Amino acid sequence: MRKKGNRKPKGRFRALRLILLIGFLLTMALIFLVSTFGSQKFGPLHELLFEAAGPVQNLFARGSDALRSLKQNYVDLLSVKEENKRLTAELQECRTLSFKNREALATNTRLRKLLDFKESSDLPMVAARIIGKDPSVWFRNVIIDRGSRDGVARGMAVVNGDGIVGQVFSVSPNFSKVLLAVAPSSAMDVLLQKSRARGILKGTGSLTYELDYILKTTEVNKGDQVVTAGYGGIFPTGLPIGVVSKVVRKRRGMFQHIEVTPSVDFLTLEDLLVIEQELVIPEEKGDGLPDVP
Amino acid sequence: MFVLIFFLLGLLLIILQTTVFMINPVWNGAPDLYFILVAYLAYRHDLFRSLIVLFPLAMIFDVLSGLVLGMYPALFILGYFLLKVMSDRLPVRESFYQVPMIGVGYLLVNWLVYVCMSFAVPSMLVPWSWPIMFMRAALVVLFSFPLFRLFEFVNRRIEGKFTGFYKGRLRSGNRYRE
Repeated sequence: MRKKGNRKPKGRFRALRLILLIGFLLTMALIFLVSTFGSQKFGPLHELLFEAAGPVQNLFARGSDALRSLKQNYVDLLSVKEENKRLTAELQECRTLSFKNREALATNTRLRKLLDFKESSDLPMVAARIIGKDPSVWFRNVIIDRGSRDGVARGMAVVNGDGIVGQVFSVSPNFSKVLLAVAPSSAMDVLLQKSRARGILKGTGSLTYELDYILKTTEVNKGDQVVTAGYGGIFPTGLPIGVVSKVVRKRRGMFQHIEVTPSVDFLTLEDLLVIEQELVIPEEKGDGLPDVP
Repeated sequence: MFVLIFFLLGLLLIILQTTVFMINPVWNGAPDLYFILVAYLAYRHDLFRSLIVLFPLAMIFDVLSGLVLGMYPALFILGYFLLKVMSDRLPVRESFYQVPMIGVGYLLVNWLVYVCMSFAVPSMLVPWSWPIMFMRAALVVLFSFPLFRLFEFVNRRIEGKFTGFYKGRLRSGNRYRE
């Protein structure tokens, strides 16, 4: 309810307001009538007014847009630092995740290869991981995390998905030392898969083997596969060892000089399998050499 | 305390050498950190304590590396005595000259042991290579600077601790004020 005030509007103002209201209503009614029943023609006067108002409108619209843009830029600038921080952290996270994924993929591939190899063979095997490497330049050994408690014994063959890696040299309850096949003191009985010629494969200390005792009369070519012969019972027959990479027939001597590239990548060795087969190893010799077939 | 701490330091160096510094099983660029410890002990410490530290470390190294047992004790002891004699007899007692002498000693000791072993077990060794051995000697020299600083720091801490303990018990010398 409206309270009655002490101050009353004066009579002439009241009349003026009434006139204004009536005038407004009449104008609206006129506009309505004209727009409804009129000719609707956009005349020269309209055009003139339109042309006069357009630039002003345009000016204001542009100004307003510029101001809005400026304000938006300022607001963006305020938030961009936070955004930058967030995105950098996100990128770092993504990179770490990507690296982990790549690592997991590589591990998966490696382990799958090992598993395939293990499944393809009916020999008992124990998986092992390299935990240390011989830092000397004169020997080539690695230390694995499996020992006599896991069934590993001296002389057992060590392989991975690509072929022969070496032979167990010494064992403690939980760890073993593996003499790599590329070590100069390593020697294996092997066969050239194509010609079935038998020879002795020796390590050189570098990433190649030397295949000895192959007669000059034997046909040997670059790319020939070399596999284990299986004599002596240490290495199972037919395991891949490498590929012939160089053949030299010297004038003198009965044998060829053959270089073999290992099938195993010794630079990226990580996971191995120890073939747990019963071995009859004679008493250790004084020189500490492993028994070769 | 000295023996225990330096033994643990040596053990850490051996573990680093056989794991972190060995990128792959046929890697030749791993620095022989053990020789730096041998050199440090030869230059700075007495025979008795040094041998107590070095002997078990040499045996551990023997187990982890190589095929011929006794090779590393020979390398350690020979290296120790060679550097000791060099530092005592030669007029090169400044650290500036001592560090390159480690490299020379390293080459000499390795060559001597290699020659002996090539007679004893000729087919077991990777052929000697001077470029590789020079590179390894250079690595030993390079790593000597930070490791000598580390050993000195540790040694000072050990000595400081004991000195502090004795200092507390020292008398002033003024009998009348006590």
